[in-house]
Amino acid sequence: MSQTISGSQNTSTGMNAAAYAAGIRDVIVLELKQRLRSRGWYIMLGIWFLLTALVTWLTWASWNASQAYRTQGPDFGYVAGPTGPGSMIFEVVLAFVLLFALLVAPALSANAINGDRSGGTLAILQVTLLTPGQILWGKFFAAWLAALAFLVTSTPFLIFGVVQGGLTPGHVIVSLLMLTVEVGIVCAVGVGISALTARPLFSIVTTYLAVAALVFGTVISFGLGTGLTQGTVMANQPNYPNSSPLVPEGPSAPPAYTCSGPLQEQRVPRTERVAWLLAMNPYVVVADAIPYPVRTGGDVFSGTGTLEGISQLARHAVAGPEGSYTCANGEPQDPYLSQTTPMWPLGLGLQLIVAGLLIWLGWRSLLTPARKLARGTRIA
Amino acid sequence: MQQGRDNDGSQAAAGRIREVPSIDGPLDADPVSGIIAEGVSRSFGSVHAVEHMDFHAPAGKVTALIGPNGAGKTTLLLMLASLLAPDSGTITVDGLNPATQRAEVRRRVGWMPDTLGVWESLTAREILTQMGRFYRLPKHGIPDRVADLLGLVRLVDLADQPARVLSRGQQQRLSLARALIHDPSVLLLDEPASGLDPGSRVELRIMLRELAEAGKAIVVSSHVLSELDEIADGAVFVNQGRTVNKQTVEEATARGRRYAISAVDTESLSGKLTELGLAFRIENGRRPAVSLMLMNDGDAARLLREVVLAEVPVLSFAPASGALEETYMTLEVEQR
Repeated sequence: MSQTISGSQNTSTGMNAAAYAAGIRDVIVLELKQRLRSRGWYIMLGIWFLLTALVTWLTWASWNASQAYRTQGPDFGYVAGPTGPGSMIFEVVLAFVLLFALLVAPALSANAINGDRSGGTLAILQVTLLTPGQILWGKFFAAWLAALAFLVTSTPFLIFGVVQGGLTPGHVIVSLLMLTVEVGIVCAVGVGISALTARPLFSIVTTYLAVAALVFGTVISFGLGTGLTQGTVMANQPNYPNSSPLVPEGPSAPPAYTCSGPLQEQRVPRTERVAWLLAMNPYVVVADAIPYPVRTGGDVFSGTGTLEGISQLARHAVAGPEGSYTCANGEPQDPYLSQTTPMWPLGLGLQLIVAGLLIWLGWRSLLTPARKLARGTRIA
Repeated sequence: MQQGRDNDGSQAAAGRIREVPSIDGPLDADPVSGIIAEGVSRSFGSVHAVEHMDFHAPAGKVTALIGPNGAGKTTLLLMLASLLAPDSGTITVDGLNPATQRAEVRRRVGWMPDTLGVWESLTAREILTQMGRFYRLPKHGIPDRVADLLGLVRLVDLADQPARVLSRGQQQRLSLARALIHDPSVLLLDEPASGLDPGSRVELRIMLRELAEAGKAIVVSSHVLSELDEIADGAVFVNQGRTVNKQTVEEATARGRRYAISAVDTESLSGKLTELGLAFRIENGRRPAVSLMLMNDGDAARLLREVVLAEVPVLSFAPASGALEETYMTLEVEQR
């Protein structure tokens, strides 16, 4: 029995970074081998591909149909945007891919730890030389990689959207990068929660609720929170020289008014105090990170895509009344907030804090010899 | 149906009260090597799974951990495997502390859980290879090591089948190979014989004896006590989270053993036994028989000679239970 493994018995107690990474890689290999051999994963991937294809086709077809209607109908002097269908297809596909990535990621990550625990295989890992950190990171990266396969599958459709319209490859790269990061955050949340809870079903549901909290909860709490932030801003009266306020309020129209008169206190919601909630929304993070062309006065109406709109709304919320209320502090406000002050780092940072906290708590629950066990869990 | 009183009661009481110190001789050959737990306690909420338990498994010996379900055997093994921290007390593995010298301890401990826990979609070979990597064995040595272990547990033919197609007994053997992958000096086996067919049990027995002779400390928890008689050098009996008795198998045998005797004519047998002044009881099994305690093999041989010479038509004369089982049953009686 006792042969040839004395080489491993070297007495270095410390572990260098390479050995640490090697342990993580070994866990990833173990996890991916199992995932790649389950048929369910391939079926999900196939369904995903078909659904994305369907949505892309529907978007494209509906745009074509509406174009045909416009060209046949009476001319109201309404000019179609110069961007073609590309922007629209791209945005719809992107929104859809993000939605489904957020839905798939919990399923792939939220049973990583407690699924193994109930299968009796977690303790097998814990009793080896692997550290809790290696196990946790290995599980996380494996879940992330599995989720990224879904993004890779949807890449052709994003490229199709870009090719169809006047968008650059940069759009695809940035949006895929942001999708990757968002999926990673959901996976981290899922793995963290799965380390903290006893039952896979419970952790999967909890992770879905966490995703719902990010997507809907942030919007709702921003809306409700706005009501609690009543404040004031000093402003005076705007004068519209050509007295036609119907004309452009669109992006980047040069301020079409001047401000005059005495400054008075105006009651307004100070949205900047709760805007961080909105910033945490994955859609806001993705929309804000994607570059859009700098608006000039010419294309104020038509060029605005949905993503750009979301981004602008969120930036107005962050700017608060000081930066967006008409004639705040007697200054005319540019209705279009330029992209020089991106807000997605704020949202991403907050998401990373939440995910990091869950991962840290999960790491603590994997420490051995274990002092505390979750109620009702058997370690082995 | 109890006709005579034998000395079970007094023996068991003595065993129960005598908590720890009974044996110092053969079990404590080397105080540092092997695995030692002293005054270990662990509770889960209000449940005291292990209370002030003492345990010593010396190197080169097979130590049996015996006790009823829920006695704290698995909890103790989890603590010995450095997965669970004791609330109080100390554990040392070859003189090392699992809490502070984690990696060193884990290189020395092989643990086979009672839940099998196999990665079902991986093959036996892949599982063992992965385990070799998790123990950071040198990469070039892993394939040979895996092949050796597969041969040892007779899974060569099934080595490249996914583990889910293995039967329970085969998975059990795979689990044993997994615990041995890094050639540990302490082997903790939780119910290793459950699910094994008789042939595999014999093999397990031989394998464990060989491993012990190679100098490993082996801890086996099991209910199959007759098996343990053949494997174990010593036994630790636990009940309700406490060490209730420690003994070597020799001692267990020396405390007397229950023999079952059956005869064509039970009347004449019981008559003869009464005449000899022996306490016995009539067993109502499928075939009428009597059983009684005999102190050693010499007594048994003399009694057999007596009854045969008295022309009692004896059909069978054999130990009714293993030596450890005898002690176990006295503990069980005490428990009620």
